[in-house]
Amino acid sequence: MQRLFLIFLAAFLINNILLIRFIGLCPFFGVSSRFETSVGMSMAVVFVMTLATLVCWGVWNFLLDPLGVGEFLYIPAFILVIASLVQFVEMVIRKVSPTLFKAMGIFLPLITTNCAVLAAATESVKPGFWKLSLEYNYGLGEALIYTIGIALGFSMVIIMFAAMRERIEIAPIPRSFKGFPIAFIAAGLSSLAFLGFKGLFGI
Amino acid sequence: MKRSVWRDFTIGIIEENPLFSLVIGLCAALAVSSKVENAIFMGVAASFVMVASNILISLIRKIIPNQIRIPVFIVVIASFVTIVDLSMKAFFPAGYEALGVWIPLIVVNCMILGRAEAFASKNGVIRSIADGLGKGLGYTLALLVIAVIRELGGTGQIVAFENTIVSLKGFQPPQILQSFPGAFFTFGILMGLLRKLQRKGE
Repeated sequence: MQRLFLIFLAAFLINNILLIRFIGLCPFFGVSSRFETSVGMSMAVVFVMTLATLVCWGVWNFLLDPLGVGEFLYIPAFILVIASLVQFVEMVIRKVSPTLFKAMGIFLPLITTNCAVLAAATESVKPGFWKLSLEYNYGLGEALIYTIGIALGFSMVIIMFAAMRERIEIAPIPRSFKGFPIAFIAAGLSSLAFLGFKGLFGI
Repeated sequence: MKRSVWRDFTIGIIEENPLFSLVIGLCAALAVSSKVENAIFMGVAASFVMVASNILISLIRKIIPNQIRIPVFIVVIASFVTIVDLSMKAFFPAGYEALGVWIPLIVVNCMILGRAEAFASKNGVIRSIADGLGKGLGYTLALLVIAVIRELGGTGQIVAFENTIVSLKGFQPPQILQSFPGAFFTFGILMGLLRKLQRKGE
C-alpha cells in the first residue's frame, strides 16, 4: 500500500511529467493560454491516459510478450491502440453525453500526438524504461496508479499555468518576449519550484 | 509561383525553424539538450525518421484514402522509429540508455507528423526529401545551439564521444543551466532574442 502511494507521489509531484521531465510540452504551451481550454484538455488527458495504459497493458501481457514480438512491435502497437482508442472514445462521448463532448471534444484528436500518453503507457507497461529507484513489478495495479499520477500531475500543472498566463497577458513585457518566450521563462520558474520536491521520501 | 527545391531545403533552417519559429517538437528538444552528444543523437534520429517517412509518404500519397491518412502516416512513422530504436540499441547502447523513452516518443513528435500531413502528402518525392532534410537540419542545429549553451555553461566543458572538445578554465559554472529549469530559461531567452533579431531585419 505504502509503495503504491510512493509510486503515485513520484509520478504526480516529484517527477512531474511537464515541469521535470518535459514530456507533453506541445499541448502544454498550445492550450494553456486560456483557463477553460486547459480544464477541458486535462479532463480529456486523464480519461484517455488511464484507458490507454489499461489497454496497452493487456496488449503487452496477453499478445505481444507471449508471442515474443514485443521488442519489434511495441511502438506501432501502442500508438495504434492510442489512436484508435481516442477515435472510439470520441464517438462514444458524442453519442452519450453532448455536454461532455462540448467540454473536451475538440481536445481528443490532439491527444493522439500527445507524447505524454505514449510515454505513460510505454513506461508503465514495457520493461526497460523504468528509471526511478522505486521497486516496480509491472502489475496492472501499479501501472494504473502510476498513470493516474502522471495524468493528475499533468492536469494540475496545466491548470495552474493557465491561470499564470492569463495574468502574464496583461503584464508589461518587452515586445520580443510576448507570447511563447515569456511563457517558457515562467515555466522555468515553476520548474525551479518543483525541483524543490526532489529527494522527498528518498525518491 | 512554385518554390524551388533549394528553397524548400533552406526555408526549414531559419525562417521556418521547427523549434524557434513553429514551436513544435519541443518536448524532446528540451529534454535531451543537456548534453551535446545526446543532442546530436536526437537530431540525427529525428532527421532520419523525418526524411525516410517523407519519402515513403510522398511515394504512396496517391493511393492513401483521405479518411484514414493519419493512421497510415502514424504506422509509417512508427516503423521507421522502430528501425532507429533497434539500431541504436545495437550500435550505440550508451546513447540509447541516455535517451531512454525519448526514442519511442519520436513517433508522436508533432514535427514529423506535421511535415507528413502538411508537405509530403501533397508534394513529389524530391521536394519532400528537400523539405525533410531542411527541417531536420534546422531542428538539429537548434538543438545543438541549446545543448552547447547548456553544457558549456552548466559544466564548463563539452564532452562528446569520450573526447573533451572545449574546456573553460577558471570558470565557475552555474549548475542551473544543466538542470531542468535551465532548459526552459535558455529556450525562452534564445527565442526572444531571435525574434528581436528578425524584427530588426524587417
